[in-house]
Amino acid sequence: MAAPEVHHLFHHPIADHSFSADKQTLAVARDTSVELYGRTGNGFKLKDELKGHDKTVTSVDIAIDSGRIVTCSQDRNALVWEPSPTGYKPTLVLLRINRAATFVRWSPSETKFAVGSGARVIAICYFEEENDWWVSKHIKKPIRSTITTVAWHPNSVLLAAGSTDAHARVFSSFIKGVDARPDPGVWGERLPFNTVCGEYLNNSAGWVHAVSFSPSGDALAFAAHDSSITVVYPNGADQPPRAVVSVSTQLLPFMSLIWNGEAEIIAGGYDCEAYRFKGNEGGWQLTGSLESKGGPGAGQAQEESAFNMFKQMDLKGKTKDDTQLKTVHQNTISTIRVYEGSNGAVRKFSTSGVDGRIVIWNT
Amino acid sequence: MSIIQQVSNATLNDNWRTINIDLLDPESSSNFDTSTLHPAFAPVDDNEIRTTGQQVRQLLRGGDAEGALRGALESAPYGGSDGVKEIHLQTVTEVLQSIKASEMTPMLQRIFRTEGGSDALDVLMKYLYKGMASSSTSTRSSRNALSPHETGGFSQMGGRPGAANESSGAAMSVLLSWHEKVVDVAGLGSVGRCMTDWRKV
Repeated sequence: MAAPEVHHLFHHPIADHSFSADKQTLAVARDTSVELYGRTGNGFKLKDELKGHDKTVTSVDIAIDSGRIVTCSQDRNALVWEPSPTGYKPTLVLLRINRAATFVRWSPSETKFAVGSGARVIAICYFEEENDWWVSKHIKKPIRSTITTVAWHPNSVLLAAGSTDAHARVFSSFIKGVDARPDPGVWGERLPFNTVCGEYLNNSAGWVHAVSFSPSGDALAFAAHDSSITVVYPNGADQPPRAVVSVSTQLLPFMSLIWNGEAEIIAGGYDCEAYRFKGNEGGWQLTGSLESKGGPGAGQAQEESAFNMFKQMDLKGKTKDDTQLKTVHQNTISTIRVYEGSNGAVRKFSTSGVDGRIVIWNT
Repeated sequence: MSIIQQVSNATLNDNWRTINIDLLDPESSSNFDTSTLHPAFAPVDDNEIRTTGQQVRQLLRGGDAEGALRGALESAPYGGSDGVKEIHLQTVTEVLQSIKASEMTPMLQRIFRTEGGSDALDVLMKYLYKGMASSSTSTRSSRNALSPHETGGFSQMGGRPGAANESSGAAMSVLLSWHEKVVDVAGLGSVGRCMTDWRKV
């Protein structure tokens, strides 16, 4: 397994990151702006800065085909940044929410995006040609608390959302005139807007940090603050799910997760490293870390000389420098995204975290 | 004094910045019963929990400390009243106190490896925290309640503050050493689950 590619961008938390389709541009949410980095050789160089929000930017997503960037922020706004020859042009989206926007993702069709918020609504936003602006429709019921995360089904109609009321839910975000009528599937047959296709809670019930549909869209995984991941296999409309498998771990909670095929999940969070889960409807288990331990992670191997030892003893009162974690990330991983893959199988994925690093891993 | 001044004085005294606006909003999350978010627990009454306690003590007397601990943890009364929960806490504490320090880790590892073992250790962790939270207050109050019977003529004995502190200190050190060992086996995840879980012990 090749070593991961580590890019230490700055000493500041990265709330979210997103790569463009050609992987030449990297958008990073930092403070109140979004920084665009361009690939130059082996590194990334700051290219542009998208300034438009006046509070912390919470999430950023680049549409794969159109190259549009959507950002949302604690200032309760979302902006769509349209690429143009003279740079990115922002357009304000009418979210109509009275609390912070927490999370935004483009639908796979790129005609809509979903914004989670602290106002207990999910705003489904789409472009209205006749008025020439982005409008939103709210999914309200039965959300009881802040939406922390959303994830799209491959059909661009179903949307999974995780909330601080400890539930992961699946909604329909069908919008007439924008979406094609979806085929009936395991999540339901008729899917008008705001249909609740599923509502899931695990036993120890922490608030939900991450949700994700499997590549086929027929299973849903979510990670919660009780250090668990839960995988749900639904069984058609109005039926109890075929299986709900919950794995509680000995680790700290996971903040983000992705599927690698239908039988593997990669999750990372407060333990600062990515872990692999394997399983199926019959059961899931944690199979271990994706990092090879003991090697010189981010901390370079220190030269072990007598001079160095006495210098350390003099400076710090100890010989070993234990201020560095053994992991590549030196702080919580907040986002995991697929970097390279095909047909649901992931070859490379990228992580970003509170330590200001972007790391590209091989699975 | 002009009318404008009077009005502004009145509004200043209202101190409107401290008004809890959530109480005035019917849609607000603070006007909503969080217990409706999760399925209800089966109710447990007083007699039921006492019987369970006796069964657990019987196992303990028979020398099966591991069975007693497992039994106590698996019959945690989530749906019981505070009194019921207090009774079961006593049972669990008794079991914990009767297990020798050298047996703790092997026993925890055996439980962890079995089916449902990690759940049992999560419950144990909840009892450790509950025990630590209540041992300082409850032992003192139960001491005071008992003191008329115990001390008879020597009323100053019961009131000696050190006595209560010694016993709660001993109970606390048992709980702390259990805590350390449970974290070793079940990880920090189980501490997190104590906080998130709706099923309070």
